[in-house]
Amino acid sequence: MANAIKLAATARDRAGKGVARETRRQGRIPCVIYGAGQAPVMISVDAAAVARDVHASNFVTKTYDIDVGGVSHHVLPRDVQFHPVSDRAIHIDFLRIDAASLINVSVPFEFKNAETSPGLKRGGALNIVHHEIEVRCRPDQIPAHITIDLAGLEINASVHLSGVSFPEGVVPHVSEKDFTIATIATPSALRGKEDGEGDGAASPAEAAKA
Amino acid sequence: MLSPKRTKYRKAHKGRIHGLSTSGTTLNFGQFGLNALQPERITARQIEAARRAITRHMKRQGRLWIRIFPDVPVSVKAAETRMGSGKGSPEFWVARVHPGRIIFEIDGVSDTIAHEAFALAAAKLPINVKVVARQGEGA
Repeated sequence: MANAIKLAATARDRAGKGVARETRRQGRIPCVIYGAGQAPVMISVDAAAVARDVHASNFVTKTYDIDVGGVSHHVLPRDVQFHPVSDRAIHIDFLRIDAASLINVSVPFEFKNAETSPGLKRGGALNIVHHEIEVRCRPDQIPAHITIDLAGLEINASVHLSGVSFPEGVVPHVSEKDFTIATIATPSALRGKEDGEGDGAASPAEAAKA
Repeated sequence: MLSPKRTKYRKAHKGRIHGLSTSGTTLNFGQFGLNALQPERITARQIEAARRAITRHMKRQGRLWIRIFPDVPVSVKAAETRMGSGKGSPEFWVARVHPGRIIFEIDGVSDTIAHEAFALAAAKLPINVKVVARQGEGA
């Protein structure tokens, strides 16, 4: 894991939607820092400084050093709220962390070697069932992603949690036992040959009638 | 076409579509999605037309998810009928769509094909839409 990213922030003295909207009009994102048994701190950060990062799949795996009026907070982004239409970040939660504690964090899966998978070469579709997994680890050990190797996978093959190797110090924190991460699905063209006109991805109602 | 199997009541109020979508606003299944930008009632026929346009352009590759369901019956009074005498008979089904709602999601196709397929689907829908994509890792 790379070093913490430095981020400047200013404290907010008032809460509420009116103040939050005013903050957004000024080109800043309202945020909050909480955790580690300390009082929460309301802050705002420059929207341009995090605009690219917040949309990245691994944003919540990066640690930040947020400077609020000379006081530095070592934090991990915990949650980001996006505007449903414009897709810009409207609020960010940061969790205070210390190096010794164990934390739960969602890490995205990265799928590699798709070009050497015979199933995908034959037209199979990579059906990703889980895009990320919650793992438990120390803050300095958070992986940017968990790699899934697709090499050699045929059509109808699947990748399960038991077949995934995790970096040292990182353990999966899931309630489901050995869940399916991805499958190589049969292409609609092969599956629907006998269907005649059926247009592949059938709607649920049509599937129910059949 | 999509329609409920059974309903508690045959007819529904017209209703109004206020505000933004509070659920179904993020990509949950696929790599690409079609995001509604306006409030509108989308009929089962429009959903089916858009679905056909997408699947045909994808040439039966990849997968498609429909994230809305037309569960609101719309009644129409018969032509040349005087006002009154009760509500008309249910004619078709619509989904009430708020801005921000992901209408379709697709996966297993290239970026170009996904955008082309969604452009065809957008032409079948009564609202402005935009294509959204799952973001990769940042720097």
